[in-house]
Amino acid sequence: MKTIPLTIEDPFRKKTYRWGRPLHEETGLVSRLFFGLILFLFAVLSIAPLVWVTLSSFKTTQEFQMNRLGLPDLWFFQNYPQAWQIGNMGTLIVNSIFYTTVSTMAVILLSMAAAFAFAKIKSKATPVLYGSFVIGILLTIQSIMVPLFLMANAVNLLDTRLGVLIPYTGLGLPIGVYLCTEYIKGIHDSIIESARIDGAGYFRILAKIVFPMAKPVISTLAILNVLTVWNEFMLINILVSREALKSLPVGIMKFSSTLSSDYGKQFAALVIGMLPLLLFYLAFRNKITEGVSAGAIKG
Amino acid sequence: MITRRTKAEERRAYLLLVLPAVLLYFAVVAFPMIFSLWISVSDYSGGQIFGGSTPVRFAGFSNYVRMWNDRYFWISLKNNVYIVLISVFGQIPLGFILAYALHRNMFRAKGFFQTVIYLPCVISSVIVGILWQTIFSPYGPVTEIMQFFRPGWQNTMLSNPRTAMIPVLLVMLWYYTGTYFIIFLANLQKIDKEVIEAAKIDGATEWQTLRHVILPALSGVIVTSAILAISGSLKSFDLIFAMTGGNPARRTSVLALYMYDTAFRGAPNYPRANAVSTFMMAFSFLLIIITKLVEKRFGGKEE
Repeated sequence: MKTIPLTIEDPFRKKTYRWGRPLHEETGLVSRLFFGLILFLFAVLSIAPLVWVTLSSFKTTQEFQMNRLGLPDLWFFQNYPQAWQIGNMGTLIVNSIFYTTVSTMAVILLSMAAAFAFAKIKSKATPVLYGSFVIGILLTIQSIMVPLFLMANAVNLLDTRLGVLIPYTGLGLPIGVYLCTEYIKGIHDSIIESARIDGAGYFRILAKIVFPMAKPVISTLAILNVLTVWNEFMLINILVSREALKSLPVGIMKFSSTLSSDYGKQFAALVIGMLPLLLFYLAFRNKITEGVSAGAIKG
Repeated sequence: MITRRTKAEERRAYLLLVLPAVLLYFAVVAFPMIFSLWISVSDYSGGQIFGGSTPVRFAGFSNYVRMWNDRYFWISLKNNVYIVLISVFGQIPLGFILAYALHRNMFRAKGFFQTVIYLPCVISSVIVGILWQTIFSPYGPVTEIMQFFRPGWQNTMLSNPRTAMIPVLLVMLWYYTGTYFIIFLANLQKIDKEVIEAAKIDGATEWQTLRHVILPALSGVIVTSAILAISGSLKSFDLIFAMTGGNPARRTSVLALYMYDTAFRGAPNYPRANAVSTFMMAFSFLLIIITKLVEKRFGGKEE
């Protein structure tokens, strides 16, 4: 039976912009109130701390102690250059960008190559190899942390950029290989076969046909990896102790202990620290939410 | 068509394509996994593993027994269970309610709400930890707000060992709910709108539609979210490390932090640290299997 969607034209609807105005006439008042209240409250609570820390970062520490909730009486911008300098924020941000981009590119290249072979070239090795990648998705990083530390120490990779990039790339592979393999399986065999008949080698096919066709999954993977690597703390915290190699999350810990009573600078540092990823999010928010839900469900 | 030459070429291409990823994966993930299991049953105490002055010996399960008898292990495990509970019964339902409210188009400014609710999730957990530590501290705004309602209120939340876990759990609710919200929102959009419309036309109320149409259609997603929540909760480290450092008196410690303290703070005890991480893996698998069983028993309405 075909149902005709009920749309009642409400002449006032286009003019009213009150919050919480129902678009579905059939939703009851009680449920609307219930859902509306939770939605509104949670949205406010989501940004209130961020607004608060931003406002507070423009107060001097003295002013903050007198006035913890309100707007700054006097907008004090000096916290920012000071926090930038004390925290070495420039170096931290550059390092984070470096670790994130290089490891993400490496994960994409290696995952796509392996995934193409797993999905489109028949081999008896595939179930075992592919299976071992899929198991890796459930891995907890703690269970390899001590070995990685000992291994890095044994081959003199502690406190080097390479010593961070290698594990970061390796840890991105399970989800990467999985997402790419499942995606490439969906590409028709006939496309690849006809390219083979035309005399193209596998690497050519990968570069010229599979890569362009896999753009959606590549962007999902890139987003997941950028978010993970940028925020990763536990591993890099033990692999790196030199100031010049620290990433943003490790470096900003300084503001938790030594400077915790110098509120103005602490707040400015926190704002600087969250700004890069917030901008990334606001620029690509639809892609990011898509990527996160796709990655989560499959992982 | 398929000649011997193309077969050989196929094999060579397969090898070249797969090898870099496989080698790296085995070096960085698979081998360390096995290595970790081995350390957990050894008496390794730092220094060279092979050919060192003191040879490393098999120690049986003594490290696991010592872990089992350590009260801080149990404090940490208990806190991990709290975190699992707040994620499964807090973050997931709340995430669902938020997603449902938006999806049913009850309100305007859908894009705004979506952006704002997911916003906390993209901030580094270390920054979130430091930020909330200050917010809950005696000098923070929580004190101010509470004193407005109850003058003379003393803020000992983070310094009292009995209550210190409460702010941590609240922050987790704040921080991670957005992830489940996004997952549910994406999957609600996949449900056929006509099914919902049909239920409405047949006179079903909002709650009946939710109970009999939407929730059954999402049961698979709910289970996946639960698995994500469980494995994520057991891993949690950064946020607590930055927010409380496991204190006061290690009362807000979690397994990951207990493991980190054992391995990297004070005298390193690598065997016990790896016993802890092995336990974490096993516990995580156990909870995931239970979740799957519960799904089989009570769910399974989909398809």
